[in-house]
Amino acid sequence: MPMLDEKVMSEVKKVLAAMREPVTLRLYTQELECAYCKDTHTLLDELVEANPLLKLEVIKFDEVKEDAAKEGIDKLPAIVVVGERDYGIRFYGIPAGYEFSALLNAILMVSTKIVKLTDETKEFLAKLDKPVHLQVYVTPTCPYCPPSVILAHQLAMASKMVRADMVEASEFPHLVQKYSVQGVPRTVINEKWFVEGAAPEAMVIAKIKEALLDA
Amino acid sequence: MLDFNVLIPETAEPDKLWDLIILGGGPAGLTAGIYAARYKLETLLLEKSIVSGGQLTATQWIENYPGFREPVLGKKLAADMEAQAKHFGLKVISENVQSVNLADEIKEIETDYAKYQAKTVIIATGSSPRRLGLSDEQKYAGNGVSYCSTCDAPFFKDKVVAVVGGGNTAFEEALFITKYASQLYLIHRREEFTADRIFQDKVFAEPNIKIITNSVVTGLNFDLQVGRSLNLQNTISKESSELEVDGIFIFIGNLPNTALFTQQLELDEGYVVTNRKYETNQKGVWAIGDVQKGVLRQVATAVGDGAGAAHQVNKYLVENH
Ligand SMILES: Cc1cc2nc3c(=O)[nH]c(=O)nc-3n(C[C@H](O)[C@H](O)[C@H](O)COP(=O)(O)OP(=O)(O)OC[C@H]3O[C@@H](n4cnc5c(N)ncnc54)[C@H](O)[C@@H]3O)c2cc1C
Repeated sequence: MPMLDEKVMSEVKKVLAAMREPVTLRLYTQELECAYCKDTHTLLDELVEANPLLKLEVIKFDEVKEDAAKEGIDKLPAIVVVGERDYGIRFYGIPAGYEFSALLNAILMVSTKIVKLTDETKEFLAKLDKPVHLQVYVTPTCPYCPPSVILAHQLAMASKMVRADMVEASEFPHLVQKYSVQGVPRTVINEKWFVEGAAPEAMVIAKIKEALLDA
Repeated sequence: MLDFNVLIPETAEPDKLWDLIILGGGPAGLTAGIYAARYKLETLLLEKSIVSGGQLTATQWIENYPGFREPVLGKKLAADMEAQAKHFGLKVISENVQSVNLADEIKEIETDYAKYQAKTVIIATGSSPRRLGLSDEQKYAGNGVSYCSTCDAPFFKDKVVAVVGGGNTAFEEALFITKYASQLYLIHRREEFTADRIFQDKVFAEPNIKIITNSVVTGLNFDLQVGRSLNLQNTISKESSELEVDGIFIFIGNLPNTALFTQQLELDEGYVVTNRKYETNQKGVWAIGDVQKGVLRQVATAVGDGAGAAHQVNKYLVENH
């Protein structure tokens, strides 16, 4: 039985019909010690069938470890959504449940280059000259999570200084421990600052500003 | 089992004059949308989350919504309502409403990204969880303090948690959380519970749930990740005690999402005052579901309100435009 049943697949096709430029999903996997690598691989295999502009590139993590580390890839499975360039949009763990929508959103965004951010945010990003790393901790069953992920990915798309990760909490217990995640969404900014819940755009930007001032 | 949701935010033309704008995509707003779209009204629904369904998405099972002999998943019911509404032509946009102007003939609704105009407005912004009001409650939200069990219960696998509340929501969510937690304390400030008998029977039969009545939570000792506890006070003896827990879920009722309307609509304790036709004190503005004063706050009633209000709006537009 396929992972994406007929009904879901037809919805996906409809949604991805809006794609303009080609998009590559770069999947980093390994065979051992990765609970969701196989499922994620199957999922993406099926997903790329939905539109010819969508390609999958599978990379064996152990063969490229050092290069991957330079791009900040440090856990598996990892999906990098690449368009004209790598915008810093990453998914760690399987993008299932509500997060599947976040993945489709990232694909559309990279493909159409349309971001929906306020003018204030765009101005702030244009002047941003320090790196910002956003990690959004989620679970697939959390309905409030995709907006936080989508926002983070939009910021990455709009600025070369921003890298934005979706992290599926249940697959990375050590990180859940490290950042004391006991509720989702929880956005971690540059390792040390936190935003709880599905905060609106202005609030996330304010917190990023705070993090940069303090750093 | 893995499932996959396909929800993509859309955009709408800002220059159009809509027949109806619905604020909020919970069960009330979505039902109004289904009816309005079938009346062929040009209808726009604004929902701040990309997932419609409102509080339906914050719970696991709905047992008392007619038509489902087996409990139905809240998020499934929500997704189906949205798909049904879109099927009839409802436009759903995920934008957060920032300000409104309801007084004039043409209503103006402003979001983070655009300004929309409509001949009529239905308010269906629902309600949000009430907080306990403890000084560091906000600080630990998402880190030990939670208001959403489907979101956060999995983080308390084999942990000890407290659930605060005595109504249907507290009881139902406690039953869900015990699937993860090893021990659950249900804390209620009174002796008697308002939860339906059917929930009470189930909770009392659960070996991992211990009931603590006549008690209120007065403090969170959550500085450390381990060895956390709550301060409790007995409401009768006034005695204080400490209870070791890893986290706390709070279900003590709701507050209406009406901050947008304080200057423009008649409110009572924050709830919008409506009559039996869902009319507010502003011409061309209706309110439905949880935001209304003095109603039962359930999915079945929200849905009924949605149908009724859409009917009123249609009649109004036929007579006035
Ligand atoms: C944990 C829990 C369990 C429950 N269990 C049951 C049950 O078993 N049976 C039952 O019948 N009922 C149950 N309820 C109650 C039921 O969910 C509500 O009565 C019902 O959802 C109310 O519907 P509504 O459309 O009025 O509001 P809501 O469901 O609150 O929806 C309001 C919507 O408006 C949106 N919104 C708010 N402000 C804005 C803004 N400024 N801009 C844009 N959008 C906005 C919100 O995001 C939300 O989606 C439960 C509630 C909870 C919290």
